[in-house]
Amino acid sequence: MTKLKRWIVLGVAFVLIMGLAGCGKSAETGKSADNGEISGKEGKTIYRTLDEIKKDGTINIGVFSDKNPFGYVDENGDYQGYDVYFADRLAEDLGVKVNYVSTEAANRIEYLQTGKVDIILANFTVTDERKEEVDFALPYMNVALGVVSRNDNVVKSLDNWNKDDTIIIISGTTAETYLTENYPDIPLQKFDSYATAKEAFENGTGVAWANDNTEVIAFSLQNDGYTVGIPSLGSNDTIAPAVTKGNTTLLDWINEDIKKLGEEQFFHKDYDETLTETYGDEYKETLVVEGGKSAE
Amino acid sequence: MDFAYIERVLPLYERAAALTVQLGMEGILLSIVIGLVCALILYEKIPVLRRIVMIYIEVSRNTPLLVQLFFIYYGLPKIGIVLTPEVCGVAGLAFLGGSYMAEAFRSGLDSVEDIQRESAYSLGMNRMQTIHYVVLPQAVSTSIPALLANIIFLLKETSVFSAISLMDLMFTAKDLIGLYYKTTESLALLVIFYLMILLPVSIVGAVVERRVRYAGFGT
Repeated sequence: MTKLKRWIVLGVAFVLIMGLAGCGKSAETGKSADNGEISGKEGKTIYRTLDEIKKDGTINIGVFSDKNPFGYVDENGDYQGYDVYFADRLAEDLGVKVNYVSTEAANRIEYLQTGKVDIILANFTVTDERKEEVDFALPYMNVALGVVSRNDNVVKSLDNWNKDDTIIIISGTTAETYLTENYPDIPLQKFDSYATAKEAFENGTGVAWANDNTEVIAFSLQNDGYTVGIPSLGSNDTIAPAVTKGNTTLLDWINEDIKKLGEEQFFHKDYDETLTETYGDEYKETLVVEGGKSAE
Repeated sequence: MDFAYIERVLPLYERAAALTVQLGMEGILLSIVIGLVCALILYEKIPVLRRIVMIYIEVSRNTPLLVQLFFIYYGLPKIGIVLTPEVCGVAGLAFLGGSYMAEAFRSGLDSVEDIQRESAYSLGMNRMQTIHYVVLPQAVSTSIPALLANIIFLLKETSVFSAISLMDLMFTAKDLIGLYYKTTESLALLVIFYLMILLPVSIVGAVVERRVRYAGFGT
């Protein structure tokens, strides 16, 4: 075993050296290309400043393509939802075109760190761990975790768990982190997208599905035969846009815009347009955060 | 590089590697059996079955494994067939691999000169004996490089198992990145573990290839 470990450490060192050599090379070519569009910080995080985005005329925003009604692609192939409605407005206020990049939950941080997108607007819950990796703007939505299960076997508590029962979760979500830390004995079946997780749950996989409570409530309202047995789990969190760490020009601008949008009650309108159909007006005040001012 | 993190997640990678190897091997063994049967059906030109095999090979080779897995795992439950992700993974791999193996065996069988078979018949051997003692040994020997290439190909294809919630190496790495954001360490471990699985296969394969190159007389 120790021998195996030594080999692994050696291998890691080898790959790292190769990786570093590669990075050095690409940084050099980046400089000589002199395209001015990419700003690097210590050659690690790559992002575009506000001016660079404006000059380019297009902003890249990472959204979900399969998380109805927050970020999804409708039957015409257009992006829709609460997050997308906000993203459209951001681009409009910035005076640029928007290019949507479809993301999975586990990719969101990487997409920012590698400069694939300028902003992540994919129902991204603010957590301390994530704050270390990306910069969050002001929040625009409240969220907690929830657990949905089938009507014939409603899960009301996670205590005294039967070890043969699995809970479905989506890789890279706060539900995964929460259950991994607080209920390490509950077997989790992990999926890499909302679409596949829902499909598997409908096919009879797992006894429950844990996710953002907004999401599981929407699921139980949209599909017959399901009940949200645990409507609120873990801490009450907020959802906010995120930018690459250090991209202060863009971050400050988003914050200003969110404050400005608060004056016209933009997110209430966003809720009316995108979420009323699913939730009714019942959740409006608990869900919407206006002007970046969370209730807590 | 965070070595404490590597130490902590190493058991997860080991479990994932075991799953990758186990499901990979089961799928590969099944695909070799399927491939051999299909190749012999084509070689012997068995009516009806031959058509079915030809259709199977075209369908299997011209659709991605990801699509096949989606069909088996998310599609079949709609008509009441619910399989565990593990079974789906092996079935998908065998379905894909079967056709590749069939083509590998076919090329081997085709390489055996007609004169060999005719000689066997003239010595009084029947069809089964001819296949068993004359054709197959030479065909398999010729097919070995192609078979080994397929084995490595199929082992690498297991990386799409994440789509059906199997915690293989690829999904474990992706999942850990999503949980702890240690991208460099997670990806480095991923590369190392794939190399640890595939390099020995390549090396052993190269040796085996040299050892069994006995066929080819009579040309």
